[in-house]
Amino acid sequence: MSTTEPGSFRLPRLLALLAAMALLAAACGGGDDSADDDADSEASASAADTTEAATDTDDDDAAEESTSSGDAVEVRWFVGLGTGAQEEQIERQDAVVDAFNDSQGDIELVVEYIDNSTAADVLATQIAAGNAPDIIGPVGLEGSNAFAGQYADLEPLIAESGFDLSPFAGSEEVYRTAEGALEGIPFATFPSGIFYNKDLFDEAGLPYPPASYEADGSSVYGEGTEFEGPWDYEKLAEIAAILSVDTNGNDAASGAYDKAAIEQFGFAHQWTTNPTSLGTSFGAGRLEQTDGSAEFPDAWVESYKWYHNLVHEVGAAPNQTQTDSDLLAGNVFNSGNVAMVSTHLWYTCCIADLGDTWDIGALPTHDGTLVSKLHGDTFRIHKDSADPQAAFTVLEYFFDDAALDLLDVYGGMPARPDIRDSYFASLDEQFPQGVNWDVIIAGLEYADSPNHQTSMPSFLEADARVKEFETPLLDDPDFDIDAGIAEVEADLTALWAG
Amino acid sequence: MTTIFTGPDDHTTTGSGSRDDGGHGTLERRERRWGLLFVTPWLLGLVLLFITPLVLSLLMSFTNYELIDTDDQEIAWVGFDNWQRVFSDPEVGNGLWVTLKFALMFVPVSTLLPLSVAYLLTSERLWGRGVFRLLFYLPSMVPLVAAMIIWRFYLNAESGWFARLLRWFGLNPPNFLGDADWVLPALVLIGTWGIGNAVIIFIAALNGVPTELYEAARIDGAGKWRLFRDVTWPMISPITFYNVIITLVGLGQYFLVPFILQGVDGRPEGASRFYTMVFYQETFSFFQAGYGAALAWAMFIVVFTLTALLFWSAKFWVHYEFEER
Amino acid sequence: MATILSAARAAEPKRTFAELDLDTKRFLAKTTVTLFAVLLVVAFLLPLLFMVVSSLKTEQQIASQTILPRSPTTVEVTEGPFAGEAYDLYAVPTDDGLRSLLLVTKGREASTFVDPADPTVPIEWEGRWRTLEPALVLDPTFENFSEAWDALDFLLVLRNTGIIAGLGMAGTVMASTLVAYGLSRFRMPAKRLILSSLLATIILPPFVTLVPTYAVWLQVGWVGTWWPLIVPHFFGNAYNVFLLRQFFLGIPRDLDEASAIDGASPLRTLITIILPQAKGAVLAVSLFHFFFAWNDFLSPLIYLAGERGKQPISVALYDFLGLYDTAIPLVQAGAMLSMAVPILVFLLLQRIFLSGIDLSGSLK
Repeated sequence: MSTTEPGSFRLPRLLALLAAMALLAAACGGGDDSADDDADSEASASAADTTEAATDTDDDDAAEESTSSGDAVEVRWFVGLGTGAQEEQIERQDAVVDAFNDSQGDIELVVEYIDNSTAADVLATQIAAGNAPDIIGPVGLEGSNAFAGQYADLEPLIAESGFDLSPFAGSEEVYRTAEGALEGIPFATFPSGIFYNKDLFDEAGLPYPPASYEADGSSVYGEGTEFEGPWDYEKLAEIAAILSVDTNGNDAASGAYDKAAIEQFGFAHQWTTNPTSLGTSFGAGRLEQTDGSAEFPDAWVESYKWYHNLVHEVGAAPNQTQTDSDLLAGNVFNSGNVAMVSTHLWYTCCIADLGDTWDIGALPTHDGTLVSKLHGDTFRIHKDSADPQAAFTVLEYFFDDAALDLLDVYGGMPARPDIRDSYFASLDEQFPQGVNWDVIIAGLEYADSPNHQTSMPSFLEADARVKEFETPLLDDPDFDIDAGIAEVEADLTALWAG
Repeated sequence: MTTIFTGPDDHTTTGSGSRDDGGHGTLERRERRWGLLFVTPWLLGLVLLFITPLVLSLLMSFTNYELIDTDDQEIAWVGFDNWQRVFSDPEVGNGLWVTLKFALMFVPVSTLLPLSVAYLLTSERLWGRGVFRLLFYLPSMVPLVAAMIIWRFYLNAESGWFARLLRWFGLNPPNFLGDADWVLPALVLIGTWGIGNAVIIFIAALNGVPTELYEAARIDGAGKWRLFRDVTWPMISPITFYNVIITLVGLGQYFLVPFILQGVDGRPEGASRFYTMVFYQETFSFFQAGYGAALAWAMFIVVFTLTALLFWSAKFWVHYEFEER
Repeated sequence: MATILSAARAAEPKRTFAELDLDTKRFLAKTTVTLFAVLLVVAFLLPLLFMVVSSLKTEQQIASQTILPRSPTTVEVTEGPFAGEAYDLYAVPTDDGLRSLLLVTKGREASTFVDPADPTVPIEWEGRWRTLEPALVLDPTFENFSEAWDALDFLLVLRNTGIIAGLGMAGTVMASTLVAYGLSRFRMPAKRLILSSLLATIILPPFVTLVPTYAVWLQVGWVGTWWPLIVPHFFGNAYNVFLLRQFFLGIPRDLDEASAIDGASPLRTLITIILPQAKGAVLAVSLFHFFFAWNDFLSPLIYLAGERGKQPISVALYDFLGLYDTAIPLVQAGAMLSMAVPILVFLLLQRIFLSGIDLSGSLK
């Protein structure tokens, strides 16, 4: 059990401060009965509570020890800030936990899966309660932004255990904070690509998306066919329109297309419609300007207009309501009713229903540049972990014996190049159709820099404000993008000015 | 406060008091002791679970306390900073506006709909009244989260049954949960699932109207509308008053439905971001618990004032003269 | 009502109506009103039907967007160039009339079919396959319930909810009875103030005390346990106190005064005289608490965050929705499981709910 040290509590400190203040007010003001009573009752209550708390924890431990194996240290693992809490992934992570617990008797690993939508709130509550988990992950940069200052420095643990960092070839430096602490070891990387449904291309008689990049990141679509042309977002939109079909069999490129009765969509940004992510598909950049104001990069604005047009004018990409509808059921590509999606390698997590009908192709360029958005995941140890050594022992297991299993669950490519081959071998077992992994690996060369998950000042508030922009973009056909952007920029600039 | 909540005439205390006057002093003291003993659990709970947290919350609203320390800031008193921010924060304005708009839609619906249904279910011309009462009460028994699971998919503008039903009637269904103009009406619609209790107490009130009164009015030649206005309404106005109070109190705490359906940011574009969600987001998403405490207290003050106003207004429209106890 | 009735009347052809005898008139009026009520109740309960139907579908049936759980008829082809796979059956208009054919290769404007009787011969067909009628059969599945049962860990969750609800129920019944008895039968100082404080706690939005209350429980060391969800009820609850007090006030004092003269202590009087007469009200309070505990969401969410093994049904169901929201039939089945117990209790004890318990008198 990760019993918490008294020092990690903040609420009690606040209470003490408030109680002292109340006493002071009573003493100075005199005759303020209510404040006096409160302080008294609270003091006596907390005195009684301390003894009770002590006996209570004893009871708990005793109860737990009798049911679990001997006197093992409990290490709690929190899954949900990033990938890992999807239906398909839970069972397989449970297997890893069981295997670890069976392999030794000193540590009892306990896993908690929290759905991504509430994971941040739950973790916040746990931390505020002084009940933080020991291991948090897999978590990307975004998760670490939200909980800055909560992670342990791993360097002493690495030194103590003799963990070898050399295979990572310096890539761990992304997890070094401004203060010099190393808060993560790279575990998985997730470049992006175009996942496409071969059956839907066949039905439309269209050539597949290109399978490789030129040195400059460009590629050509449909070489030697009537559709030949440079593979850019314009071309993608043109193909997507042909791949969008209504119930009468009319496609979005024809005049007869009925947007009220769409049966199949040509394209979607799957689970990557956060405005910073969506914008980066057209070019890397950042919101925060050197003068401290907020400004959307031009490429981002263009990407919003491009996608908004594709969703609402052309009807070749699903809006939010269509995404949530029975037809697409929230996981659009997996439904078999969307021909292409742009997403990360982790999407191999959630594609089981589609069978062998899919493959991965090249991403299109915008203005001659290619961006393959990159996610990187790691496991972190909370700074209040009662036994960081035990937690790090679990991390070592994750990075060694369990690495391939876990990477497989998350669809993450090993950050260590030396174990990539066996990783893709296991993916090939799962997807025997022969997926073109090379094209998505090649995306590493064109990773977004700065990364779209780079932190910004007042991250929590700023991020919430930016995300608000997502719903109208996806669901409001009349949304004035320029005006919306101006509002976000003004709000962020004001927020950052304090 | 006392006068507001016990109303103009608290029969119970004065009644029982005058009745027992004349008893011996010791007997009276003994009675007081027993009475206080019985009330002790409540008094303890009041101090521990309400007054103490209330005072703490008020004190907290004058600090910069963060639920999770993200910037290594010491806890300090910040005076009225949080309270000033309550008045200048555009999110607060939006939250109040959303709550007010919803209240203006929901209070009439939550009063008139149960009343109409109760009228229908007390009609002599209805077969199987018992079954209908059961069926109208049924959704009140559906657990809230389960109800949200149902409504979320039921109201999908593409494939939900409600949209299909509207299309079947030749109407163009709006995007209930995705359109800023429709999300509040959609929440009102969802709220109609909670009318069961109000229907039942309206039925009881309607059945409680003495038939002599109707007969007397009919002899005077009153029409249907006048029967309602002059006989029924005065008799059911205390129930209506009670219902409005309960609805208002519920509005001050209205949170879970929009939170579960629309997320803490009140999609779309904050159109369903009720005041309570502003509080929740500041406290639990941004960890600004000091500011959150000021928000919560401000809400308490507003709800308290409104309730007090309503109690005050009761003397102009609630008729108690028929109720004897 | 008035408008409803007059509308109902207007629907009748007036001349005929006037000519009808009284019984027939009454019969027609009853039919019209009942029909209207049926329509209203169907509209009101349609979401429940939606849930039931959705929970009987497979994910493929959800995606096919038919109202009822219907599946296309598939036939496995065992010979010829298309052998080894199952294909969907469609009604295809051909020169020989409407034929039931298997769609083996889809194309935009022309597709290939085979006859299930002779699958070796491909039949080229000009036209759009999407406009064809698939041969659908009713094919409900009940697997979602067992899957949701397992995924929710339903028995564990039921046990958790039962313990939380049961202990809290015991607490609130005991405490509320005592307090209501005190407030209905005894004189005491500041009685009005105490009554007002009960009302004030009803009005108080729970958010105001949320964080400090949390801090208090944290200090006690009970965050992550059931106690913060149970212990507060041992102090009584304003609604329940009002309800019981109303009831006690209605019980004539003659009996308990007689008992007091016989020398019984007030507590004894409460147990032997008052409670036996107030069984119904106590049962109502118990039931209301049961439903409160079944529904209570925010407290368990906060106090049991991450404690998956301890969560009651409301939070477990919410997590379940989050984790499985791309499996629509599964979450609908989960919703249905979660309401089974409350609905059963309601149907068994409906009289208590439908007797119209209200607090309006106490708000005077």
